[in-house]
Amino acid sequence: MKPRVAFFDFASCEGCQLQIANLEEEILDLISIVDVVSFREVMKEHSDDYDIAFIEGSIMRPIDVQRLRKIRSHAKILVALGACATIGGINKIRNQWPAEEVKKEVYRDADIDGNEFFDAFQTKAVNEVVPVDYYIHGCPIDRDEFKHIVASLALGKKPEIPNYPVCVECKKNENVCLFELGKFCLGPITRAGCNAICPANGSACEGCRGILKKPQVECIMDVLKRYDLTYEEMKSRCTLYNYGREECK
Amino acid sequence: MTELKNVKIIAKKDFDSVVNNLIQDETYEIVGVKTRGKKFVFDILENASELCLNYDVTILPPKKYFLPQFEKLMDFNLEKPFDVKENEDDKPRIIIGMHPYDIIALEQMDKLYLDSQRDDFYKRRRDNTIIIGVDIQKVSERSFAASMNTHVTDSGFDLLLTNLGNIYAITIGSEKGRQLLQKHVATKNATDEDIKKVQEVHDILFSKYKRKVKIEKKDWSSFLVANYDHALWEERSDKCLGCSSCTMVCPTCFCYDVKDEVSLNLKDGKRIRTWDGCLLRDFTKIGSGEVFREDMRDRYRHRFFRKGNYLPERYGFVACVGCGRCGTACLPDIADPCDVMNELSQFETAEDTDRFFIKQKTTTSEKGTIHIPGEATIKRMKKLTEMETLFEIELDDKNPLNHKPGQFVEVSIFGIGEAPISVSSAPSNSSSFDIVVRKVGNVTSKLFTMKIGDKLGIRGPFGNGFDVESLEKKNLLFISGGIGMVPMRSLIDYVVDKNNRKKFKDITILYGCKRPCEVLFTDEVKKWEKVDNLICKMTVDQCDDGECWVGEVGLITTLFPKIKLDTADSKNTIAVVIGPPIMYKFVIQCLKTLGFPDENILVSLERRMKCGVGKCGHCQINGVYVCKEGPVFNYSQIRNLPEAFA
Repeated sequence: MKPRVAFFDFASCEGCQLQIANLEEEILDLISIVDVVSFREVMKEHSDDYDIAFIEGSIMRPIDVQRLRKIRSHAKILVALGACATIGGINKIRNQWPAEEVKKEVYRDADIDGNEFFDAFQTKAVNEVVPVDYYIHGCPIDRDEFKHIVASLALGKKPEIPNYPVCVECKKNENVCLFELGKFCLGPITRAGCNAICPANGSACEGCRGILKKPQVECIMDVLKRYDLTYEEMKSRCTLYNYGREECK
Repeated sequence: MTELKNVKIIAKKDFDSVVNNLIQDETYEIVGVKTRGKKFVFDILENASELCLNYDVTILPPKKYFLPQFEKLMDFNLEKPFDVKENEDDKPRIIIGMHPYDIIALEQMDKLYLDSQRDDFYKRRRDNTIIIGVDIQKVSERSFAASMNTHVTDSGFDLLLTNLGNIYAITIGSEKGRQLLQKHVATKNATDEDIKKVQEVHDILFSKYKRKVKIEKKDWSSFLVANYDHALWEERSDKCLGCSSCTMVCPTCFCYDVKDEVSLNLKDGKRIRTWDGCLLRDFTKIGSGEVFREDMRDRYRHRFFRKGNYLPERYGFVACVGCGRCGTACLPDIADPCDVMNELSQFETAEDTDRFFIKQKTTTSEKGTIHIPGEATIKRMKKLTEMETLFEIELDDKNPLNHKPGQFVEVSIFGIGEAPISVSSAPSNSSSFDIVVRKVGNVTSKLFTMKIGDKLGIRGPFGNGFDVESLEKKNLLFISGGIGMVPMRSLIDYVVDKNNRKKFKDITILYGCKRPCEVLFTDEVKKWEKVDNLICKMTVDQCDDGECWVGEVGLITTLFPKIKLDTADSKNTIAVVIGPPIMYKFVIQCLKTLGFPDENILVSLERRMKCGVGKCGHCQINGVYVCKEGPVFNYSQIRNLPEAFA
C-alpha cells in the first residue's frame, strides 16, 4: 500500500510547497508512489488519515502548537519542510525583540487583544514543539532533495542529508570562492545539500540550511582578517536565518 | 638531457590552428585551461582563443577528468536489479595545459588505481585521454612545487609545450603524442639551441619559487612520524572548519564515496561515485553510528600523514606536489603542507618511518570485482534474536565463495547501497554462505524486509581472514563479545569440523553478551560443547528477573578466572578476540596478565570498509588498510598503531 501523505503550512510563505507543486510532470511519479491526502496549495480534499506529514512554517502561537500536536499524533513520520520549519529561519529575526514589542511595532493601535490569531510568542522551529523525524532543509527547499527524501522514505531507507558544509559542493562545482571576491559567505559552516546554488551564482551563502558547527573564535578572527571583512558583516549574515541558534551566539 | 629528435618546434599561431582543427574534427573532446573570473579552470574549449597557457594554477586539478566529482558507475532498474548497465563513459579527450605537478599527481594516482585490483573506469579514461602538458610560465603565489621537484617533469605526458617566445618547443612523451602531432601539423626538429632554451626556462622557473619547504621530500616521513603526538596538530586543528576544501582541491586526494540514487518513480536508479574528504566527520562513520576519527585533530593530522607518511611508505612517493591549491582554498589558512612541514622542521626526526604500518607481509585477497557486484539469492533466513537474523546467501553462478574464516563481503542492494558484512560460515564447497545481520544502517535494515528468493549483490570476499595453518598444533582461546561471535563462528566452525579438529589442540570459547536475549547461535554452542576437548563459557552483563540464564553474569573478563591456563599453556595458546571496540582493551589486559605473549593474540577490527580494495580510503588505521591487511591482525603488529584501539 502506498504511504498516505499530507502537507501542512504554518508561518511561512508556502514557497516550499510551491516547489513541490512545481515538480510538474514529476508530480505523476510522486503520486504513483504516495497518496497525497492533503495539500491545500494544489487540492481541495483533506483527510486526517495519513502516514507522513510534511510541515512547512514556523510555530508562532498557542493555536499553532495545538494544531501541530494533533498532526504529530496522526502521523507516523513527521518531516519538517523548509527553513521556517527546520530552524525557524527568517521568522526568528523577530526573536531579537520581545514578542509584545514586535506586535506593537507591527499592529500599532489595532484591537488585537484576546484575539488568538494574533497571540504570537517568540518564533519556534517545529522540533522545538514536537519531535521531528526528518528534515528537508533550505529556503526554499531543493526539489531534487525533496525527491531524494521521498524516494528514500518510500524505499524504507533513511534519507542521506549531508552532514558537511557547502564548501564541499562549491569546490566540486569549481566555483570561485566568494571570500576571494571580498564577500562574507556562510558556506564554510552551513549544511550542504543545495549544490551550492547561491555561491554558484555569485551570491554568498545565507545559511538557510542551518549552521553545522560554530568555529573557534580564533578561527573566525583569522578568516575575517585574511579577507578584510568585519565582525558585523558576519553577525548580520548569521541573523537572517539562524538568529538565536546556539551555533551562532 | 632530452633527446633532440623528441623535441619539435612549432609557431604559436600554428599550435592554435592545431587546437582549432582538433575542436572542429570532433574526434576528441578538447579540454584546456580557461579563465573563470580572475581564476582558471580546465573546461571544454570551443575555440583556441579561449586557451590560457600562461595561467598560474587552476581551481581544481585535472583529476576531475579521471576521477570525476560525480561519476555514474552504473544504471540499474529496481524491477530487474541485475540488468546493470555499466557506464560507458566519454568520448576520447585531449587535455591541453596540464602543469608538471598535475601530471605527476596523475602518475601517483595510477599507482593506486591501476594496481592489481584495477579500477576499470579510471583505466578507460586514462587510455582515452591524450595529455598535452605545458611548462609553468607563471608561478602561483602559494605554490612550492620547486621544493617538491614537481615544477618540471620528463614523463606522464603525451606532449609537453615549453614557451620560447613566438614558438613552442614540443617534447614528445609517447607514441600517441607523436602520432597526434604528425597527423595535424608539420613541425621542425628542435636545434641544440632550442633545447638549451628549454633548459633555461626550467632553470629560471626554479628560481621563481619564493615558497620553499625546509624539509626535503625524502625526510617528510621521518619528521611526521617523530611528531605524531606534537601539540601543533591540536593547535592548528582548533582553527579547522572541517570543510575539507583542502582535500577537494587536492590533485593527490583520491578518496571517494559511493551512493545509490533512485528516481521518484522508484524504478530507475544509478550508483554514483563522488569525492569524499577525510576532514569530514562522517568519513569514518559506520552503519552503527560509530565514528573512528571523531576528534578534529585526528582528522586534520590524518591528511598530513597520508600525504607525507602513509602513501610514501606504501608507494614510494610523497603525495603532495606543491601546487598550493589547499593553501588558497583553506579560509583560516591552516592546510598548507609547506607551512606545516616548515613548522615541523625545528623538531626531531624518527628512524622507524614504517611505525604506523604492520610489518608482517599479509596475503591480500585479490578476488572480487571492484564495482560490479555478483548476483546472489537469499536461500534461507533465520531469526536469531530480536536484533539479528541469519541469511544464507547463494551465489547465482553456483561457485563457492572461496573465502577464509574472518573475511567479509560487500553486500549490495541496488537503490540502497553497499555494506561490509562478515561471513559467518566456515569455508565450504557449497555455493552458499551465511551472514548474520544486525539492523543498524540502510542496507541492513533493507535486508530485514527481504524474503527468501530475493536477489542481492555480493562483492568479495575481501580482507585477509585468519591464517588457519598458523593456528595448527596450538591451543585455541576464542573470546567474543556481542556480534563479534558472527565472524568468530566462521573460524570456530572451521576448527571444530571433524576433518580439521585433530589439527588443533584444546579449544576454549568465551562468549559474552549484554543480555540473555542477545546470545547468538545458542543451539550451535550446545553442539560445540560436545566437541572433544572443547570448553565453552558464557556470560551476560545483565540478567533481569524472569530471564532464563544458566551462564555467568558479569563482563566477559569475569570468565577468565574460570579457565585454567598456566603460563606454559599461554605460550602455546592463540587467543582470538572479536568484539565491540570497548572490549579489546580489557580483554587484552587480562590475556597479558595470563602470560600471553602479544604475538599469540589475534584480533579482528571493524572500520568503514567501503570499496574493499584499498582505494576509497575510509577504513584506514594509520597506514593500514583494514579492508586489505585486516580485518584480522596479530596484536603485536598493531599494538603501537595509535588509531587501532583509540
